[in-house]
Amino acid sequence: MTKINKVMKATTQPAVRTAVEKLNPDTAKEPINVLIVGVGGQGVIMVSKVLAQICQNLGYQVKQSEVHGMAKRGGVVFSHVRFGQNVWSPTIPMGKADVLIALEWAEGLRWMNYLRPDTGIFIADTKRIVPPFACRSRILGADIGYSKNTPSDVREKVAEAFAIDATEMATKAGNERAANTLLLGALSTTLSFPDDEWKNVIGKMVPPKTIEVNLAVFDKGQVWINRSRKGEPVEGGAFVPLVQPEINSVRTELSITPEWCKGCDICVKMCPERCLVLNKDQVAELAEPEKCTGCHICEWLCPDFAISLKPIHQEAVA
Amino acid sequence: MTVQQNVAQATPTINLPTINLQGNHACALGAVAAGCRFYAGYPITPSSEVAERLAKELPKVGGVFLQMEDEIASIAATLGASMGGVKAMTATSGPGFSLKQENLGYGMKAEIPCVVVNVMRGGPSTGMPTRPAQGDLMQARWGTHGDHPVVALTPGSVEEIYQQTARAFALSEKLRIPVIVLFDESLGHLEETITLPDVTEYENTIRKWATGKPEDYKPYKADADGVPPMARPGDGYRVHTTGLIVAEGGFPTQKADVVAPVMKRLLDKIEINNDLVESFEDIDCQDAEVVVVALGIVGRSAKKAVRELRQQGIKAGLFRPITLWPFPTKSFRALTKKAKYFVVAEMNAGQLILEIGAAKVDKQSVSGLNRYDGEPISPSLIKQAVKEVLGHE
Amino acid sequence: MNEQATLKSKEDMTQDDIRNFEIRDYLRLDLFPHFMCPGCGHGIALRALLWAIHAQGIDKDKLAIVSGIGCSGRVGTYIDANTYHTTHGRPLAFATGLKMARPDLHVVVITGDGDCLAIGGNHLIHAARRNLDITCLMLNNEIYGMTGGQVSPTTPADRFTTTTPAGNMEPVFDACRLAEAAGAGYVGREVTIHLPRLRDIIAEGLAYKGFSFIEVMSDCTEVNGRKNDLGSSPEMVLGQTRAMRPSEYDNNVVDHPFRPNSMNTGVLVRSNRPEYGTSYRNMVDKVQALQQKGQK
Repeated sequence: MTKINKVMKATTQPAVRTAVEKLNPDTAKEPINVLIVGVGGQGVIMVSKVLAQICQNLGYQVKQSEVHGMAKRGGVVFSHVRFGQNVWSPTIPMGKADVLIALEWAEGLRWMNYLRPDTGIFIADTKRIVPPFACRSRILGADIGYSKNTPSDVREKVAEAFAIDATEMATKAGNERAANTLLLGALSTTLSFPDDEWKNVIGKMVPPKTIEVNLAVFDKGQVWINRSRKGEPVEGGAFVPLVQPEINSVRTELSITPEWCKGCDICVKMCPERCLVLNKDQVAELAEPEKCTGCHICEWLCPDFAISLKPIHQEAVA
Repeated sequence: MTVQQNVAQATPTINLPTINLQGNHACALGAVAAGCRFYAGYPITPSSEVAERLAKELPKVGGVFLQMEDEIASIAATLGASMGGVKAMTATSGPGFSLKQENLGYGMKAEIPCVVVNVMRGGPSTGMPTRPAQGDLMQARWGTHGDHPVVALTPGSVEEIYQQTARAFALSEKLRIPVIVLFDESLGHLEETITLPDVTEYENTIRKWATGKPEDYKPYKADADGVPPMARPGDGYRVHTTGLIVAEGGFPTQKADVVAPVMKRLLDKIEINNDLVESFEDIDCQDAEVVVVALGIVGRSAKKAVRELRQQGIKAGLFRPITLWPFPTKSFRALTKKAKYFVVAEMNAGQLILEIGAAKVDKQSVSGLNRYDGEPISPSLIKQAVKEVLGHE
Repeated sequence: MNEQATLKSKEDMTQDDIRNFEIRDYLRLDLFPHFMCPGCGHGIALRALLWAIHAQGIDKDKLAIVSGIGCSGRVGTYIDANTYHTTHGRPLAFATGLKMARPDLHVVVITGDGDCLAIGGNHLIHAARRNLDITCLMLNNEIYGMTGGQVSPTTPADRFTTTTPAGNMEPVFDACRLAEAAGAGYVGREVTIHLPRLRDIIAEGLAYKGFSFIEVMSDCTEVNGRKNDLGSSPEMVLGQTRAMRPSEYDNNVVDHPFRPNSMNTGVLVRSNRPEYGTSYRNMVDKVQALQQKGQK
């Protein structure tokens, strides 16, 4: 986060540019850099392959390098695409990306410092995929360690920012998995390539049955960017903050029927929080109620039905 | 005649068909007529025709016929069906009857109505599968372990097989007990022209179903007749059925003071309903000097023998139990006060004779006419035996 | 009698069906505490069964639990339903009669390794062959617990029991393969420690139209565990996963008759064989139609 703050301070550009110049490799002195990020399974590689293919078709030098080895489904995936008259290095230096395409919200935020502070364009799906390690606390209602930044926070930090609910729009259009093509549509508005070329390549890259829906969402992506640049109202840009249960709004109450307990010790040893003990009568007891997360393991594995967990509401407690 | 059941004098109602029928088929038809809608069995000579006929008849009336994987499964399935509330039956023969004993006892203990037919063949073991015998009389009484109540019927003709099978259903429903129907191979395979008796009364006899609030219902709390109403699954009573000795509430107990009355009620419930259960045929017993005791096919031989002995001036009588178990002891005693000799003719090495020895009041002589070679006992053999005990030539 | 209503598939079951489960609604509370030993896995298996019944929304009045003899046979007693504690090895035969006579009931058989595979083995293979709509839950604790710990058809090699004082030498049954080979339409196996998974397997088995056989790997802590030094109750529960390979059925796996604990868990068979009760009732309808024709 500190790095992002630095970038933000460095930039003096307005949040929204009015006159838009398309990035053109013919006129650019340096290679054009597009960084595509997301998590495994979203189609990051597909986006970068489409872009690389178009560049190749149009006769530019193009280098694409990606990291998806450790990712599996749900892990971090990013892909650097550089193209122009001459491209030497395969990776984009920090602060040199012209466009950042993020298929997942937090991934977009994480890579923001790669954008050119003065001209970089940030295009992100507002789709949020919360990784398991972001919710490590087992206590019910515990805080989720996922970024709480909203699009308005981002707007101050980059030259131009678009937060599209691409997944939602693609789902409405008929295929959730076409969200990446919608972002391609958005990307196409920033580059000088002809539309036909985009559609031609997409048509060859996606599964035949999904060509129609992919082309439709490609258009939607274009329209969305064009309209929002003009300040016209657009759909699918709403950013709803992550819904987190209010801390301690629902808790569970653990009760033990001592007459039924036979002291088999299963609950004591299986409790992940170690909050149960056998008392001097060899009967299970909840020794540290505040540690109990209501995970139900003791209840489920009690062969004697002696333990029961019931949800209780805060009002009832108070 | 208060105790004699409407057997010999069954008045054929109009419209009841007169047909040629085999004993085993009569058993099957009698069952269907009595409302039997479930049969589970296993092929065994000489009772297979019961199953074969029911396989044909039951689907016509919407009933279930199952050929199970073994004899034990057959009675288990029969009891299962009955617990579901359907009149159910199984049929077998000697070896199969042996295999069924444990579950028969379960049915008696858990008080589950059903009918078990045993077409007796020569024994022991595989014995003579195609020959008649009456060797399972005591097995029917004491076959399953522990003290238990028993009702066993022994019809003596094809018509009686039809009627007694039907009656077996009525008794089993009324008393909540598996009722055994015993007849031998020769009756099972005997084809006779008979007029089918009216068994509507038996068909209409259905066990007492539990009524009233489920929370007040106790599955083994008996009414005055010694029989507790039964709970049908799906009616909201949700009871427990087990082979363990249970208290009135239906759950296992081992407390002596609870077990004693529970067992007493179970063992006494047939006695309480003796008027309903008892049935026999007597021919000239009242003034008879010699009373022949015989059942099943032998009863028919004995009937002829007694008739001919009377013609010869010998005071002979016939006592033919139709309800074999419990043995109609009281009526037997009342009817044979004047008897000096008993001749017990049976196709075994002497089983019924044990009961007669126990039932007689005075010091009458009891002699047995036994045959266990796979051949029936003829009237002439019986006549000869009677004359022998009288000292005639 | 009408046939029972179709139950929910795995996909149809909502979180609400699964949550809001209060096990005491399904128990005969007067009988508690139950008679099973401390740490006995049968109690956990019973919870899984009742939870599956709850998730499927089965009416207790329409539920018939048929059990045999042994520790597993006693489990059914504690369920607030129509419970039948029958004779040793015969619950499947009883259940066959009950289900044929009353197709509207949900018939669940609770049986054990000895009850189902030894004395009742014949009934298992034939119930599977018929594919009648019964759910059979075999609680496998690898021993005859009720009678004091004798060797059973699933006791692993070298285990000490009261009748194998020098260690068991007999190979074991793989009950699931047996049921599959005999024709069971739905076969699954799970350990008790994976309670939610066990619940789901049972719930699917309840909904399956045909014979569903589910083997529950349960712990006999007092008899089997003590005699063989298998550890305390929690240690035995934890050891379950060590011994199991959770995976789909792989027919190419080499058979390990002397290493029976390396068995697969999960749903092992889902087939589409005709259900016997339906076939039978179709036959009855045809016979009755023909008969009516004949009468006209």
